[in-house]
Amino acid sequence: MRLFYRGAEADIFLGDWAGSPAVFKFRKPLPYRLPELDEEIRGQRTVHEASIIGDARSAGLRVPYLYYVSPRESLIVMQRIEGPRLKSYLQSASENRGVSEEFGRTVGVLHRSGIMHGDLTTSNVIVADGGVHLIDFGLATHSLKVEDHAVDLRLIKETLVGAHSRVSSAVMASFLAGYASVVGEKRVKEVVRKLAEIERRGRYARVE
Amino acid sequence: MKGDLTVLGIESTAHTFSAAVVSQKRGLLCDIRDIYTPPEGSGIHPTEASVHHAAVAGRVVGDAVTQSGVSWVEIDGIAYAMGPGLGPCLRVGAVTARTLASSLGKPLIPVNHAVGHIELGCMLTGAVSPLVLLISGGHTMVVSYSSGMWRILGETLDLTLGQLLDQLGRYVGYASPCGRRIEEAASGSRRYLRLPYTVKGNDVSFSGILTAAKRLIDSGEPFEDVCFSVQETAFATAVEVTERALAFTGNKELMVVGGVAANKRLAEMLGVMVARHSARFFVVPLRYSGDCGAQIAWTGLLAQRSGVSIPVEKGTVRQSWRLDTVELPWRMTK
Repeated sequence: MRLFYRGAEADIFLGDWAGSPAVFKFRKPLPYRLPELDEEIRGQRTVHEASIIGDARSAGLRVPYLYYVSPRESLIVMQRIEGPRLKSYLQSASENRGVSEEFGRTVGVLHRSGIMHGDLTTSNVIVADGGVHLIDFGLATHSLKVEDHAVDLRLIKETLVGAHSRVSSAVMASFLAGYASVVGEKRVKEVVRKLAEIERRGRYARVE
Repeated sequence: MKGDLTVLGIESTAHTFSAAVVSQKRGLLCDIRDIYTPPEGSGIHPTEASVHHAAVAGRVVGDAVTQSGVSWVEIDGIAYAMGPGLGPCLRVGAVTARTLASSLGKPLIPVNHAVGHIELGCMLTGAVSPLVLLISGGHTMVVSYSSGMWRILGETLDLTLGQLLDQLGRYVGYASPCGRRIEEAASGSRRYLRLPYTVKGNDVSFSGILTAAKRLIDSGEPFEDVCFSVQETAFATAVEVTERALAFTGNKELMVVGGVAANKRLAEMLGVMVARHSARFFVVPLRYSGDCGAQIAWTGLLAQRSGVSIPVEKGTVRQSWRLDTVELPWRMTK
């Protein structure tokens, strides 16, 4: 087993589970956090993530299969999906419309199924097998609220503008087209309106 | 040209009225401040703060120029905080700056207050293009430089960290800013009371913590324990989103600026986090973490060097001038 990625809250190890390539996601203690608070949050997030990955799969989405879950160890073992992260894909691909639309459709299905991902950065999307796979449901919650879905879209927008500023508007347009094809034009309008409202609500949002 | 550039900067976005003079060659020459203090149990009343600013403006600016050792003739530009901030307070700074610029015939340079915090921080700490945690009464955001602007990677969805601490302090009768007194109270406790821990993606939310903390105070929990728990919970969420942004951008520099950067527990938590990413951690020196003229003067100097200036009649204020809309010509060449 080897360390693949040292994330903000979890370390990802790559190994095998009963002969299949697997990802071991271990939520490590965060030394800056008070131990009693830290343990509670890590256990909660482990259980939560596993159950929501199951729900997303039931909705027909491409997400990793779960192999083993242990809240006490803050450990999830799951299927390893081989492919580039959307982050590196967008940085290298000359054409991204198809993938951006598929990303939008995927998030549309997720939201229509009542799940908010909670951490939809381009690092948490894998492009593989001609489709878009979602990973890292660590901050996901069950919600059909326009507000929560708008928060997901806001993070996508924030990440695109922050890390892919050159292609951000084209990707966002394709994403919204794909998203609309699943949730419908009416719902997209509501979510986008709420997104604008949330941006205004941020401190010193632009009112001029 | 004499090969140097000397700029006078005026800060008046909130409770602080301050003037500073910087020179390109000799650095910061002086930084004079006069801070409005509201009565116990209150926050800043914008109009009262502006009355304070108007009363001290002449003396603060005069003292700054005297202490800097330069003459009025040697000053090349007048920079002021155009925003964001409290309207009445901003206007005092803007009027002062316009008056000086037009009567002395010097260029007028508008500065974004938040950019000022960041640029002064870089100048004082030596950070080059860091991921920045900007935390104060007016801001709680994680920002990163990309293609000509500071981009916001995460921010608060409701209260700022400074507001959370101020509103908690005011609830028990302190006057704003309350950060230092909350920190002192918290240092006397190790008893953690569970509070809502809210991270939404890269964003944080503090309103739930404030409501729960007020309830704990009402139910008779010791104030020290509440302060300890609020700090531990709120700071951990801020450090968590900062860590996410650090991991996401792969930046090897983190800088913390703004009034709340003075909190030792927060700096300690950030230091522990940054060490795990083998990044360098820069904390703005205590004296310059809060609002000051130096941040405006230094950023004004950078701007003027890049050719930024506005005619006096355009010297207005922008109360809601968002950081991620400010162009930074002096960073474009890097």
